[in-house]
Parts: sequence; C-alpha cells; structure tokens
Amino acid sequence: MPCHKPQTLIYTAPRESRRMSEQTQETKEQKEPGKAEEAQKTQQPPQPKKTLQWGIVHIYSSYNNIIVHVTDLTGAETIARASGGMFVDAGRLEPTPYAATRAASYAMEIAKQKGINAVHIRVRAPGGVKARTPGPGTQAAIRAIARSGVMIGRIEDVTPIPHDSVRKKGGRRGRRV
Amino acid sequence: MSFFAVNIPRERVGVLIGPGGSVKKKIEETLGVRLKIDSNMGSVVIELAKPVEEGGDPVALFKARDIVRAIGRGFSPERAFKLFEDGIILSIIDITDYVKKNRNNLIRVRARLIGREGRTRKIIEETTHTYLSIYGDTVAIIGEEEDVKAAEEAVISIIEGAPHSSVYRMLDSYARRRKLGGLRPSRF
Repeated sequence: MPCHKPQTLIYTAPRESRRMSEQTQETKEQKEPGKAEEAQKTQQPPQPKKTLQWGIVHIYSSYNNIIVHVTDLTGAETIARASGGMFVDAGRLEPTPYAATRAASYAMEIAKQKGINAVHIRVRAPGGVKARTPGPGTQAAIRAIARSGVMIGRIEDVTPIPHDSVRKKGGRRGRRV
Repeated sequence: MSFFAVNIPRERVGVLIGPGGSVKKKIEETLGVRLKIDSNMGSVVIELAKPVEEGGDPVALFKARDIVRAIGRGFSPERAFKLFEDGIILSIIDITDYVKKNRNNLIRVRARLIGREGRTRKIIEETTHTYLSIYGDTVAIIGEEEDVKAAEEAVISIIEGAPHSSVYRMLDSYARRRKLGGLRPSRF
C-alpha cells in the first residue's frame, strides 16, 4: 500500500483494516458503487468523483493543546497533521476553540489536496489516569471538519479507559501548589 | 452510522424519559438525535436522526451523550440542559479513585462534599459558577472549562481530606481571579 495514496476501501472496523486480506477487499468493493453515488449527490462541486478516498482524523484533545492528525485507514500512515500551538502564540490559547478550528481546517486542506474526500473521526482525551473528558476545542474541530466539505463516516470516542490502572501522578502527599 | 452507547443507572431511566417522554423529546428535538432507551438494562443508544450529509450536526452527538450521562449521574434535566450551550462541559470524578471503596468511607466523603444542609456544595457551586451533583460514588460537574477545573480541584482536595476552610480559601482566591478576568483565555 503506497503511503500517501490510501487504496479505496469501504470502511470496516479499523483494527481489521490493518491486516485486511485481499478477499475482504473484494467483498467490500462490491458495495462501493452505492456509496459513491451518495457522495456525488451530496457534494456540490461538479468534479466527477467516482471513488471515496477514506481517511481517519484522529483528534487528541487535552486541556493544554489539541492535535488533529489525518491518517489513512490503517492509521499507520500520516497524511496531514496540525496542532493548536501552530496557530496561536500564547500557550494558554492552544486548547481554545479558535486554535482547534484553525488546526482542523489546515489539516483537512492538506488532506484534501492529497485526495482524501471522506473521513472517519476518532476523538480522544488523554484518558487513563488523566482527564477523560476531551478539551474545549473538540467540538470546534469537528465542526471545522464538517465544514471543510469532506464526507463524514463514523464518529468514535477512543479515550483509553482503564479497567485497572497505575497510580495517579502526584505522589502520596498530592499536588502541592 | 455512528452512535454512542451509554449506560445509566436504572433508577435514572425514568428521569431521562421524563413525564410523558418530555425530557427525551426535548433532547431529541433540540439536538436532532435519536435516543434508544432500554429500560430494563439502563442502556441508551444515541444516534443522529439524519446523517451528516443531510445536515446532521456531528457535534450534537457529543452533546447528547454528555446530557444523558449527566442525567445518569444525578442531575435534574433542567440543570443538565445547560449542556446544550457551546463551551459547557461535563466532568465526572470517581470518588473511589481517591479513597478506598468502603461503605462508611464513601458516606463520610459524600457528607464532607455536601456539607451541613448542602453548604459546601453550595459554596463550590456559587464561587465557580458550576453545577455539582454528588450521586453514588461519583461527583459530576457542569460548567465552563476553567470553572470546572477549579471546582474539580476543590472537590478532589475535600475528598483527599483537606480541611473545608482551606478549600474555601482556595475557592475565594479563584473567584477573585475569575472576576478580574485574567484567568480565562478569550474565546476568539
């Protein structure tokens, strides 16, 4: 699989797609025409789009920053990425909705140039023993992706939730300010 | 299409549906989502009523999930509806992350959080402009991000055993900084 041009696949479960065999690809492609037509209807630009180039947008959103990362379906090949800190100067502005919007639209711009026209969205917070709620920029980033004109497939929350976990940082005496 | 599944306690299912289905209906109509509630299991499946290509808002999915969770964590629907607004977040703290899970312990910590006649909870809510709900072994907070962070810090230090007076002092200094506006990054 060439790295920057993901093959046209209809989305299956992401973990499977990493080791997707030829056989499953064929079966998926049979379904494809129907989906492609849908995309043509919804996209206003007259350019004839026959296939959907799927990608995955990983949004990692913490209280200190936001990272928007577009990959192919395997999740192993980067297509575009941007972070909140690339668009604002002050550290405290990095997680704001404004920075998130800029980062998301920048990443999607590059991804579109590279031929991605449909994406799945995976949102995560730091998770584990840290914050499990995504930061304030998440919603803005998703809106920006929706506005950028690509088709949106699945939206998932992939925040890691421990079933048992390591000790929280801070030590026995807690965080001392 | 994409969906979120949330489990809520069974006794909260009735609140989520509301009298005559009014709460459920309000969530569905305001956000354009569909809620499938299993009353026996307490599981709720949240879907967009129409796909994103036809004008469904993907952000609504997250909001709906937060509202369902908030109601599941003991908020009244009126308070949970604050989450309809942009920039309002829900944070859930598990008390058992900080103290051992033991019935007496849990009761003592909850009592410390609520205070006599709800005094402590009220002070936290008023100084940080948030809503607090103490339910089972969780504390849920609704508010703007900065405020929620301050409230979280106060709640955690009370859980860990800090004296109330020192937490009130901390909250006071937060309220003062908040008033000056030096703390909060401008929205745009």
